[in-house]
Amino acid sequence: MKSRLACLAAALLFFQTLAAQYRTALPGYRYEFPHDHFSHPDFQTEWWYYTGNLRSSDGHRFGFELTFFRQAVSRDAAKTGAWEVKDLYVAHLALSDLDGGTFYHAERSNRAGPGIAGTSESQGRIWNGNWQILWDGNEQKLLAVDQRFQLHLTLRSEKPPVLQGENGVSQKAEGAGQASHYISLTRLTTSGSIELGGKKYDVNGTSWMDHEFFTHQLAPDQTGWDWMSLQLADNTELMLFRIRHADRSIDAYSAGTYIDAQGRTTHLRASDFVLQPLGERWKSRVTGAVYPVQWQIAIPRLGIELEAKSPLESQELTGKTKFMPNYWEGAIVLNGKRNTKPIDGVGYLEMTGYDRPVQLAPGG
Amino acid sequence: MPRLLLFYRLMVRPLLQEPVRAALTVFAVALGVAVVLAIDLAGAAATGSFRSSMEALAGDNDLEVTASGGVPEDVVGTLVSLPYSIRISPRMENYAVIVDSKKSLPLIGLDFVGEGESFAQLDSASGAAPRVQENPQGPLEHFGDNDSIWLGTSLGYNVGAHIQLLINDQVREYTVRGVYPDSNGAESAIVMDIAAAQHALARYGRVDRILLKVPNAPGLNEWQQRLRGALPAGVEIHPQGTGTNENRKMLAAFRWNLQLLSYVSLVVGAFLIYNTISVSVVRRRPEIGIVRALGASRSAILFAFVGEAGCFGLAGALVGLPLGHFMATGAVKLMSATVESLYVSSQPGAIELSFTSALLALAIGVGIAVASAYSPAREAALVSPVEAMGRGRREYDVNIEKGRDLWLALALGLAAVAASRAPAIRGKPLFGYLAAILLVVASASAIPAFVHAITMFSSKLLGKLFGVEAMLASRSLAGSLRRTSVLVSALSTAIAMMTAVGIMVGSFRETVAVWMEDRLPADLYLRPGSSAAADRHPTISPGLAETIEKLPGVAAVERLRAYEIFYQEMPATLVSVDLDVLRTEPNSEYFSGRPREQVLAELRDSDAVVVSEPFTYKHGVKTGDSITLSLGEKQVTFRIADVYYDYSSERGSVLMDRKTMLRYLPDPAPSNLAIYVAPEAKLETVRAEIEQATAGHRVLLFSNRDIRAEAIRIFDRTFAITYALEAVAVIVAVMGIAGALLALVIDRRRELGLLRFLGGATGQIRKLILVEAGLLGLLANVAGLALGFALSLVLIYVINKQSFGWTIRFHWPVEILVAALTMVYAATVLAGLYPAEVAVRLNSLEVVHEE
Amino acid sequence: MLILSLQNVSKDYLSDGQRIPALSNLSLDVKRGEFVALVGRSGCGKSTLLNLAGAMDFPTAGQVLVDGVSTSSLEDAGLTRLRREKVGFIFQSFQLLHTLTVFENVELPLLLAGKPNAREAARERLAWVELDDLGHRYPHQLSGGQMQRVAIARALIHSPSILLADEPTGNLDTTTGNVILELLRRLTRQQNTATIMATHSVEAAALADMVVQLRDGKIEGITRR
Repeated sequence: MKSRLACLAAALLFFQTLAAQYRTALPGYRYEFPHDHFSHPDFQTEWWYYTGNLRSSDGHRFGFELTFFRQAVSRDAAKTGAWEVKDLYVAHLALSDLDGGTFYHAERSNRAGPGIAGTSESQGRIWNGNWQILWDGNEQKLLAVDQRFQLHLTLRSEKPPVLQGENGVSQKAEGAGQASHYISLTRLTTSGSIELGGKKYDVNGTSWMDHEFFTHQLAPDQTGWDWMSLQLADNTELMLFRIRHADRSIDAYSAGTYIDAQGRTTHLRASDFVLQPLGERWKSRVTGAVYPVQWQIAIPRLGIELEAKSPLESQELTGKTKFMPNYWEGAIVLNGKRNTKPIDGVGYLEMTGYDRPVQLAPGG
Repeated sequence: MPRLLLFYRLMVRPLLQEPVRAALTVFAVALGVAVVLAIDLAGAAATGSFRSSMEALAGDNDLEVTASGGVPEDVVGTLVSLPYSIRISPRMENYAVIVDSKKSLPLIGLDFVGEGESFAQLDSASGAAPRVQENPQGPLEHFGDNDSIWLGTSLGYNVGAHIQLLINDQVREYTVRGVYPDSNGAESAIVMDIAAAQHALARYGRVDRILLKVPNAPGLNEWQQRLRGALPAGVEIHPQGTGTNENRKMLAAFRWNLQLLSYVSLVVGAFLIYNTISVSVVRRRPEIGIVRALGASRSAILFAFVGEAGCFGLAGALVGLPLGHFMATGAVKLMSATVESLYVSSQPGAIELSFTSALLALAIGVGIAVASAYSPAREAALVSPVEAMGRGRREYDVNIEKGRDLWLALALGLAAVAASRAPAIRGKPLFGYLAAILLVVASASAIPAFVHAITMFSSKLLGKLFGVEAMLASRSLAGSLRRTSVLVSALSTAIAMMTAVGIMVGSFRETVAVWMEDRLPADLYLRPGSSAAADRHPTISPGLAETIEKLPGVAAVERLRAYEIFYQEMPATLVSVDLDVLRTEPNSEYFSGRPREQVLAELRDSDAVVVSEPFTYKHGVKTGDSITLSLGEKQVTFRIADVYYDYSSERGSVLMDRKTMLRYLPDPAPSNLAIYVAPEAKLETVRAEIEQATAGHRVLLFSNRDIRAEAIRIFDRTFAITYALEAVAVIVAVMGIAGALLALVIDRRRELGLLRFLGGATGQIRKLILVEAGLLGLLANVAGLALGFALSLVLIYVINKQSFGWTIRFHWPVEILVAALTMVYAATVLAGLYPAEVAVRLNSLEVVHEE
Repeated sequence: MLILSLQNVSKDYLSDGQRIPALSNLSLDVKRGEFVALVGRSGCGKSTLLNLAGAMDFPTAGQVLVDGVSTSSLEDAGLTRLRREKVGFIFQSFQLLHTLTVFENVELPLLLAGKPNAREAARERLAWVELDDLGHRYPHQLSGGQMQRVAIARALIHSPSILLADEPTGNLDTTTGNVILELLRRLTRQQNTATIMATHSVEAAALADMVVQLRDGKIEGITRR
C-alpha cells in the first residue's frame, strides 16, 4: 500500500463531496498499459508516487520523493470554466541529502486550471506546475524544480508493472471497495542529475513508482500505518505495510508483495511477515512525534531476515498548514541475510499517524 | 536678548494695538498657506499615495504579465511549467458595487488553491496578498463555492453575512466567508476565488493579470527577458506597479496644474505682505529715525521689519496648518472624483499631515512673508536718522517711475508672447507657465500708470457723478499710488486668475456641449448599473442587445465595447463601435474635416483605427501613421485613418470597428448600447419597452438629454476644485483690501478729521471710504479682466494644449464672468465697511490739533 | 450783534477714568466783526474752547450758543449743518489736502455741503488772499505762507460768521506770520466775521480787538482795546 491518504484527508475537509458519485476499487479490474499509468477520474482519489536512492559519481548518496495526488472535488457538469475546481492536485517533493545530513521538502496544491496541473495520456504527462513526469516509451523523465534544488532524472523500468494485492485489488479493510487499485514499478534504473546548493551531481541508482486509485479504503479505527519498499541486491523487491489501530494492535489487512528477479509476484499476508521497530527512535522537534527509525523485517517463507535503518533520521514532511498532515518518509539502507547468505539493499520507509491519528473521513 | 526685547517693544506691540489689521494680514497669509497645503495634502491623498485600487492587494511581487483585453489563461499554464522557481499569481480584476451601501469596490479573483497556503497560513508577517482570517469552522471549505467572498474588515461585515453585489449588469447574492485586515479601508476589496470571479463576470478564457515573484538572481531585467521569450507576442511583462507608475505619471500633470493654481493665493498673499510692511515702514519713518539716532544699525532696522513680516508669516502658517488640513478633506473628495471620472479608478489614501509638509507650510508662510517684506524693509534701513527725525511728508511715497514701468510692462508682454510659442518640455507646459507669470508681472508693472491715469482723469467725472466724496477718494488713491497699485495688483491678479480659469472652463464646457451634439446621435443609451469610470468598463450581458433590437420601435442598436490598454507605457482606452449600424447625422468631428461616413468606411472590418486628439498628443502620432497594439496574444499594426476630437477623457482613445475588435478580442459583451428609435415610434413608449425587456438586469437607460446633462454634471464637478481655488485667492485679496483700507484710514485719520472740521458729515466720511473700496475694486476688476483675458488665451491655447492636448474653442462665459465679477466687486465694497466705520469713529479733535 | 456766546461752560475729559477739567465755568460773548485772541500756556484750554465754539464738541456743563442756537440741543447732523453754514477753521499746520489743487482745497467745504458755484466762490476767496493766479497748483508747490493763505481762503469759502484759528502763525516765520495776521484782521473787518484766534504770540495778540487770557481752563483776564 502507499498511503498518502493523510494529506488527502485535508482535502476531504475542504470538499465534502459525496463519495457515492465515484467508482470503488473492486476485484476483477482489467488493467491496460500505458492507459492505466494515467488518470482515473471515475475514482475519487489517485496518486503517483516516485521514490529512489541515488548515488553520485563521487559517492554522494541522495534519496528523493516526488508524489502527485489527485482528489476529486466535484463532477458537476455545469461547471465548464477552466478554473472550476473539479480535482484538487497536491504534490510533495523531497530530497534527502544523506551524506550532507539535510532533508529538503516542499508541497504545492493546485487545481487543474488552464494547464497548471493534471495528467495527459496523449502527452504522456503527469504534472503539477513544474514538477512533472514525461513518459517516453518505457522511460520516464522526472523533472522537479525547487528554490533550493532541482531534479532531472531518467527512469527506466526493468520489470513489468506489478499489480499489488490479489485479483487486482489491494484490500485495506473489511468490505467490498475498502481497497485500491495499486500498480507498482518496483525497479526503475535511474540516471540523471541533481542540482543542490549551486552544485550539480551526476547520479545513478534505483527508483520505485507506486500508482494507486480508489474511492475509500481505510476503516475509521485505522489510525496510521508503516510502509516500506525494499530493493535487494539480488534483483528482487519487497513491498510491506502494516496498519495500526488506536490500541496499537496491528490490522489483519496488513500485507505485502514479493517480486522475484524475473518480475513474478508473491502476495504476502500479515501472517507471512514480521515488520516491527527496533530500538532506535527519532523525535521530531517540529511535531513532537517519535518515529522508530530502525526496523526488523523477517519473511520466514522466503528465508529473508533484514534490518532497515535510515542514514538520515530527520526525513519528516511537515504540512504547511494544520490541514496538511505530518509524516516521515525517507530513504533506508538494508542489511541482513537471505538463506544465511548476507544480503543488502536500499528502500523507502513511510510512517504516518505518529503525531496524531490520521483523519480518514470527512469531518472525522 | 535685548534686541528681541527691542523688537517686541517697537515692532510687535504696535501690531497688537491694531489687532484687526494684524489679524487680517495673518489670516490672508494663513489662507494662502492653507490652500497650498490643502492641495498638496489632497493631491497626495487623491493621486500621490494613489495606488490604483487594484494594487491594494497585489502583495510583494516583482513582475506582472498583462495583455490588452486580458491575458489568455493558457499563459498561466505555460508559466507554471517553466523550470524556474517563480511564484505565479493569476488574477481577475474588476469592480463591484455593494448594493446596500452603493459602495464601489475592487473585485479581485485569486487562485485560492494555488496560493492557498498564502491565505491559510497566516500569521507570518510576510505581507503577501490578503490574509484571510481563519475561522474555527474552517472558512476555506467554501472557497470553491461561487457565492463565497472575503472582505476587508473595515467594511464591517461579519462572517456568514449575506450580501448583494452588482457586477456588470447583474445583481448576485454572496456569503461572506471571511474577513481580512485591510489597514483602515485602504485595501478594501471584494475577494473571491478566481473561478467564482470568472463566473460572476461571465468572462472566461482570460485573466486580467498575472503577478510574478522571481528569485533575486539573476536580476529583474534578466528575468523579464527570459520570461518574455515564453510569452505570446501580444502579452507583455513589466515590473509590478508599472501601471500604477504610468497612472501616476498621467496624474502628475493634473496634480501639477492644481498645485500651480494653489500658488495664486500665495502670490496674492505676497502682494499683501508687501503692502503691509510698506505701510508699516512709511508710517514709522520717524520712529526709525529716532531708533537710528539712538544707535540702531541699518541691519537692525532691516532685521526688525523682516522680522515683523516673519511674525506675520509664522502666525499665518500656524493658523494655515490646521486650516489646510481641514480644507484638504474637502479637496480630496473633489479631486478623487475628478481622478475617478477623468483618469483612473482609485481609492483616495488617508490625508497625512506629515512633519515635512508641516515644515514646508511653515517655510512657505515665513518665506513668502520675508521675501515680500525684503524690499520695504531695505527701504526702511536706508532711512537716515536726520531725515526721519525731521517731520517730512508722512504720505505714502508717490515717487514711482510710471513711464519706465510701462516700457517694462511692454517688454514683459512681448516676452510672454514669445514664451507662449515655445513647445512643452517633457510634457510640461513650462513656457506656458512662464508666459503666464510674465503676463502677471507685466500687468503689475503697468498698473501704476493705469491707476494714475484712471484716477486722475476720472476724478472730475466721478465728482460730478458721485459727489465730492468720489472725487476725494479717487484723488486719495492717486495720491498714494504705490500702495494703491499694490492693492490693485493683488486683487487684479486674483481676479485675472479667476477670469482666466473661468473663460477656459467656460470655453471648455461650451466646446464639450457642442461636441456632444455631434457625438451623441442616438436617442437612448444603455449602460451597466455597475459603476463605470475612465478606466472601468463594465459590460452588458450578451444577448441583451439582440433582445432590444427586436423590440418594436427600435430602429437600430449600436454596440460599443471599451477596454483599458497600455500603449507605449501609457494607459489608453480601446473602443469599438458597430459600423454596421448606420449613423446619419452629417456633422464632422474629424481633423481632416471629412464627413464621418467617409472616415468610418475606411475602418470597416479592416486594421484601421481613428484615434482621439489626446492620443495623438501623448504619442506624437498623426493621420497616416501606424500603431502597433497588443491585443490578447497577438500584436497587430493598425493604420490611423483620422483623428477625432474627444473630450470625454484625458486618456487617449483608439477606436475601431466592432468586427475588427472581435477578431482579436472575441468577447461579445458590449460596454454600452446606443439605441436609435424609429422615426414613427414614440421615445417614451420605446423607453418603457426597453425597461421591461431589461428587467432582471441592472442597467441604466439614459435619454440623449439625460446623458448630456450627466456629462455636464461630471464636467462641472471636475472643475469645482479650480473654482474653489480661485475663490480662495479672491477671498485672500478681498481680505487684503479690507486690511489695506483699514491702514489707509488710520494713516489718513488727520485728513478725515479735517473733513469733519470743514463741514463733512459722518455719512460723507463713510461714503468716501466705501467709494475708495469701490474704486479699488473697479480698477482691479478692469485690470483683472484684461489680464484674465490674456491669461485665458495662454491657458486655452498653450497650457491646456500642452498638458492635455485638447482643442478648446474660445468662448466668453458671459453670465459666469459677470456674476463672478459682480460678486468680487460687491465683496470689495463690503470689505470697506469696517474701515469706513473705523473712519467715522475717529476722534477728529485729537487727530487735527497737534501740540 | 452777538454771534457766539459761551455761558458758564465747563468741559471735562476722561482719562483713565479720571476726570480732567479742561474748562471750568467759563463765560464769553463775541460779536460779529470782532477779532479775539486767546492767549495762555499750552494746555490752558485754548483748543478746547475753539472746538466748543466750532460745534465740534459739547460742553460738559453750561451751554454754547452759536448765532443763538445751543450746540447741546443738536444731533451730529445738526452740528455738521451748523459748521457748514457758520464756522470756518484755520490750523497751525494748514491742513491742506495734498492730493487736491489749491482750487479744490478751497472749494472743499462748499462741495461737502453740496452748494453750487464753488469754483467762482473759490476764485473770489483766492483773490481776497491774493493768490488768484495759483489756483491750479498743488499744496506742495507752495510756501508756508501761501499754504496758510489758501487755508484762510478755504475757511472763508462759505462766508462763515465765526472764523476759528488755532495758532495760525505757529509754523511760519515772523514776517510771513505778520502778513497772515494782517490778512486775518482785514478779512474779519471786511466780512464781518467773528474771528477767534488761539495764539502764543504777543505780536499776534497785540493785533486783536479783545485779548482773552486763559489759565487752567479759566479766564484770567480780558483786555479790550
